[in-house]
Amino acid sequence: MIEQRFKCPNCGQIASFYGNPGEHLVVTCSACHLKGRLTIPLAEQDNGHAIEVSHLKKVYGDLIAVDDISFSVKNGEIFAFLGPNGAGKTTTVEMIESIRQPTAGSIQLLGKDIKKQFTDVKEKIGILPQEFHSFERLTVRETLVYFSNLYKKKADVDTIIQSLDLTSHKNMLYRNLSGGLKQRVGVAISLVNDPEIIFLDEPTTGLDPKARREVWSVIAGLRKKGKTVFLTTHYMEEAEFLADHIAVIFKGKIIAEGTLEDLIRNYGKSSIMHIKKCVNAPEVIEMLKQEGYDEVSSEGNGDIAIKIDYKERVLDILSHLKHDCIEYESLDIRRSNLEEVFLRLTGSKLTEDTA
Amino acid sequence: MNLKIIWMDFIYSIKAWYRSKGGMFWSLAFPVILILLFGAIFSGIGSSKYTLYVQDKDQTEMSRMFNETLNGTKLFNINIVKADVNATAFIKEKNIKSLIVIPEGFQQTIQESLTNPSSRVDLQFYFDPSEQTTTQVIRSVISSILQEMNKNLSKSRTIIGVQEISTITENFNFIDFFLPGMIGFTIMQGAIYGSIERNTKYRKDGILRKLLTTPITRTEWILAKMLFMMFLAALTTALITIIGILVFGMTVNISAWVIIIIIATSFLFSGMGMLIGRFVKEEETADTAAGAISFPMMFLAGTFFPLEQMPGFLQTIAHVLPLYYVNEALRNSMIYLNQNESFLNGVVVIIFAAVFFISGVLLTKWKED
Repeated sequence: MIEQRFKCPNCGQIASFYGNPGEHLVVTCSACHLKGRLTIPLAEQDNGHAIEVSHLKKVYGDLIAVDDISFSVKNGEIFAFLGPNGAGKTTTVEMIESIRQPTAGSIQLLGKDIKKQFTDVKEKIGILPQEFHSFERLTVRETLVYFSNLYKKKADVDTIIQSLDLTSHKNMLYRNLSGGLKQRVGVAISLVNDPEIIFLDEPTTGLDPKARREVWSVIAGLRKKGKTVFLTTHYMEEAEFLADHIAVIFKGKIIAEGTLEDLIRNYGKSSIMHIKKCVNAPEVIEMLKQEGYDEVSSEGNGDIAIKIDYKERVLDILSHLKHDCIEYESLDIRRSNLEEVFLRLTGSKLTEDTA
Repeated sequence: MNLKIIWMDFIYSIKAWYRSKGGMFWSLAFPVILILLFGAIFSGIGSSKYTLYVQDKDQTEMSRMFNETLNGTKLFNINIVKADVNATAFIKEKNIKSLIVIPEGFQQTIQESLTNPSSRVDLQFYFDPSEQTTTQVIRSVISSILQEMNKNLSKSRTIIGVQEISTITENFNFIDFFLPGMIGFTIMQGAIYGSIERNTKYRKDGILRKLLTTPITRTEWILAKMLFMMFLAALTTALITIIGILVFGMTVNISAWVIIIIIATSFLFSGMGMLIGRFVKEEETADTAAGAISFPMMFLAGTFFPLEQMPGFLQTIAHVLPLYYVNEALRNSMIYLNQNESFLNGVVVIIFAAVFFISGVLLTKWKED
């Protein structure tokens, strides 16, 4: 939490407000009760980057696990490092966390070179290692208090418990928790020092869909608090749901990077509109072709697929269908996704067997 | 060094341990059960032959006859000690467990007894009270030989008796031998397995990686864990000692030196656990490896049975086992009050502790390759 002093534009009263870098606050002047919005400035970083990785490399004998990668993560964003198992995600994140020694390259966290200043950085980062299991015979609350006591800067443990919806489980032993709760506790542990950057290494691996959604909502909540999140995952839907920025890693190299929209636009297929069980499908296809839709095809059974290059064309097609009183059972538009992006980039699916 | 962090980790270790039924059982209940069981049911389990030293100061027909009778039982490996040797010094010097001295005038007194009803001669039987089985066997054999001889000499009274002289001032029995061994063994088990858990399970669970990214240093963590190990060792020692005193009426000496040995033992076996965890990274395999090392050590190092009862080559092996020196150091200080002997063994324990603990700390690491 950092302090931001603010002068009321109405009465001139000066007051201090506290929040995380990048956090938006609604504040009230204690003198004239004027309400206003205030944004806590991004602290300490001068270029807006929480993480900067340059020419990072890790070699084990003949194996190049991470091959000369460079990227940066902006303050306050969720950055997803997406790739199949064995692509080099954990090796990379563990080098950034100073758990592994890079063969070459440099890493800066919050503007500090971790080779020389990692001890200074420790207070400002929170980490959930891959496949993390905490002390089995401590309760949830004790676990958080334990890790919290390791830091000088401490967030309020009970607030964390509340915000991660762990209140009803706080007195349960860690070993008795379900997989989803254990991962939530893992995320909670990474927050005990109110860190600026949170590293979550495969936080939902092995969880059922419901537990996965629960963890996602926790991670999404971190963005609202202005935290920078570095997330490694091999679930494309996780990256799609959570990430502001995605880097796709494959065989130790970053093969694509950008926002979800960027990646789909640059590497995905266009969207496809499907018209199901259309009456007079051959005539409709012919009509659409005459209207300039080159990629229209019959999928049999009266189903039609039309490639949509840009969104205005959707309204155009709908108006044609309405105008010619064409009957059909249903209609949907399927957007290209990361799976297709990955397939196109690597020639293989983003599944476990890709590793 | 942040002492608050060390203390906090120590307190949380106790909490976690208190909640572990297995941990409680192996650290407290198991040694208590063993002490009670062994103390109550111990019966002689010995080798078929016992080593017995005999000094014939009389050198007469009758003394030779007594010697031959002893030999005739075929229970003993009899070693003859020269008549002019000082028995007490010889026992001390050669670490002799059992010695029978036939006194000068043995035959003469027996002959006199035929006319003088008050004549009586006593054999001297020097014995090591910790060697309970051996002592018991020798005692009963001598007793039956003398009973026969006395019966032949006089129907109504004892002419040849036995004066028992302990090589140590007090009278000891098996539980005296066993109690310090049990303390050493329990500390060893706790330290080795605790250390292995921290170096294999915590690594697998990502706890070590997590700690590496927090402000706690490895030194603080290791010190906190050693503090916990010493707490466990103190608890174990106190519990076993109290049982010894209350149930078996023992006299146990707890001194600063005993505490030093116990601390050194905790460091020694924690270091050994670190080394096992360093080279055998899978938790289950490391546990098996620990068992494979600690169990034979327990038997070979004279924890339950005196080394005397083991074949010679096993006795040689015992002398390279750290637990042997722990047992000897504790036993001599706590029970036999032989502080010189305890000091020599204790120094070996401290050297072992330094070597194992320092190599354990240096060879294990939190960082991944």
